[in-house]
Amino acid sequence: MEFIKFIIYVSIYIGLVSTTFFILSFFFGEKKKKLLYSDDELPKVSVIIPAYNEEKSIEATIKSILKTDYPKSKFQVIVVDDGSNDNTLKLAKKFEKFGVEVYTKKNGGKGTALNFGLKKVNGEIMFSMDADTFVDKKCVKQMVRFFKNKSVMCVSPAILVANPKNILQRVQYVEYILGLFLRKAFATVNAIHITPGAFSAYRKSFFDKYGGYDEGNITEDLELAMRIQFKGYIIEHSPESPAYTIAPNKFSHLLKQRRRWYVGLLKNTVKYSKMFSPKYGDLGMFIMPIAWLSVFFAVFITSYSLIKIFIEIRKEILFLNSINFDLYGIFNINYFFIERFLFLYFSNPVVIFILIFMLIMGGYLFYASKKIGKISSPFINLPLFFLFFSVLFGFWWIVSLIYVLFNKEIKWK
Amino acid sequence: MENRKLQNKTRYLLSFIIGTIIFILAFMAVYSISYFEYQKISNQQSDLAYSIFEDKISNSFFGRDICSDQSYKEISEDLGFQGRIIDDLERKFGKNDPRVLSRKKFYTLVLLEHFEFANNINKECGTNIHTILFFYSNKEEYSKESEDMGRILGYISEQHDDLVIYSFDVDLDSSLVSLLKEKYNIEKPIELVIDGKYNIKEVNNVNDIEKYLK
Repeated sequence: MEFIKFIIYVSIYIGLVSTTFFILSFFFGEKKKKLLYSDDELPKVSVIIPAYNEEKSIEATIKSILKTDYPKSKFQVIVVDDGSNDNTLKLAKKFEKFGVEVYTKKNGGKGTALNFGLKKVNGEIMFSMDADTFVDKKCVKQMVRFFKNKSVMCVSPAILVANPKNILQRVQYVEYILGLFLRKAFATVNAIHITPGAFSAYRKSFFDKYGGYDEGNITEDLELAMRIQFKGYIIEHSPESPAYTIAPNKFSHLLKQRRRWYVGLLKNTVKYSKMFSPKYGDLGMFIMPIAWLSVFFAVFITSYSLIKIFIEIRKEILFLNSINFDLYGIFNINYFFIERFLFLYFSNPVVIFILIFMLIMGGYLFYASKKIGKISSPFINLPLFFLFFSVLFGFWWIVSLIYVLFNKEIKWK
Repeated sequence: MENRKLQNKTRYLLSFIIGTIIFILAFMAVYSISYFEYQKISNQQSDLAYSIFEDKISNSFFGRDICSDQSYKEISEDLGFQGRIIDDLERKFGKNDPRVLSRKKFYTLVLLEHFEFANNINKECGTNIHTILFFYSNKEEYSKESEDMGRILGYISEQHDDLVIYSFDVDLDSSLVSLLKEKYNIEKPIELVIDGKYNIKEVNNVNDIEKYLK
């Protein structure tokens, strides 16, 4: 058997076993009833919105958080303008009359803005919210309920892509929904180690005890989630708390975002590499190793595919040359061609496995639509996801690894 | 920090068992599809052999006029398709699979029957059905060249209604193939014999073949 085939089959087998584990965890993982705050017990909450040149979305973000059904007497909203040079500050200040606290500081990055906001926080629970994120009105209350368990230091919401329009956003839309599935499965074994930077809730006392955001870190939210796990606390997931973020709609923007995420993930994993240990239970022995194995497979298979595509294109040009570039002459689609194509297609194990994974994901999207509401164009978005995501995922990782190898600097903004 | 444990070992065991079963089932499904195709091709080959044989007997024994018979064209398309599928099956089941080997041998026989039939039509009707005997190899060192030549021949056959291509695996353990190689002086794979008389050792461009088909 060819080496690449062997690698592909090993990756599929590991994928099948781990997907089965996640499905079992998702549906049968929660044995104990969660400890939850009732409406009377809800603690005081502060929301920090760091903003840098967000004049397009800042108003909608503040309006959305002000609409929350959380008791107003226990609710504080802080906007930290990180030295914007557009109208962000001016637009945010319009909300001061509704009790929103607006501060401005010299530009220093998201981590510095969040640390600045932390000093102004008077709630027991702190939310970090990106200035291009919108939340459902029940989101805050549902998330805060999980903090009744004193070991819970962070709660992540059901983060979704708002109004996906082009192919890139549609691919991300399915990716985010799949992320909900994984996060819920991870939560059953306390293995969430990545939380959405766009909107997450934290216990303020964690910052008091272990320090604030790591300002030099390009993915400070990821570092924080890993630090919480490293210190032995719990990160919960609230699947019934939808929050919506605007996904990049241009390839260059998306690449920049993913490069930052993946380089950040790589560096933070190295920082907390001690978590690859039986001491960390399911997280250290299964979830983290599987996540990194999938990265290895994606990089390997994508690199191979890119080289193969290059060779095939060259081969095709040589063939076209041998038939004097008579393109019309090679397109002869008849019954025999279709039958042979279908035979070769469906007698390829990889195709069967892709269909199995599509079936699993289709089933999950159907289930998710019952929980989080209507799923946008599943029959278009799911095939798009399967067509593009694995290639994009591998490609983003290859670019990120190149950046790490050549020690190139990456900034938040 | 307290040491954590695996929260549910049974879940891991179940995942391993279910994942393994799905993995095996998928391969069994693929094998079933290949086997289904193999059976289909086997039946088609028998039908094809019967048709060719029927036409030949009708002509030689009962004196039926074969000059107006255009069935060889349909049959030749079927032949090309079957040849490609048999090669695909060889890749799926392996080179030494006895089922594929017997199909290939039978296919060789059918090809030669048709080749003789086409030659008879030319002789008796004064027509000019062109034939190309293509000697290929699926061995690693020749497989790419064989594939490329197969594509060029596929292209040419689309351009000529009066052309039939017969592909023979030079590595097949068949006395007929050996005799054919001897008859046409075939030294190594990727050689062509056009109209039974032009032996072409090297083809770089479709024009290298086209000049013999005018």
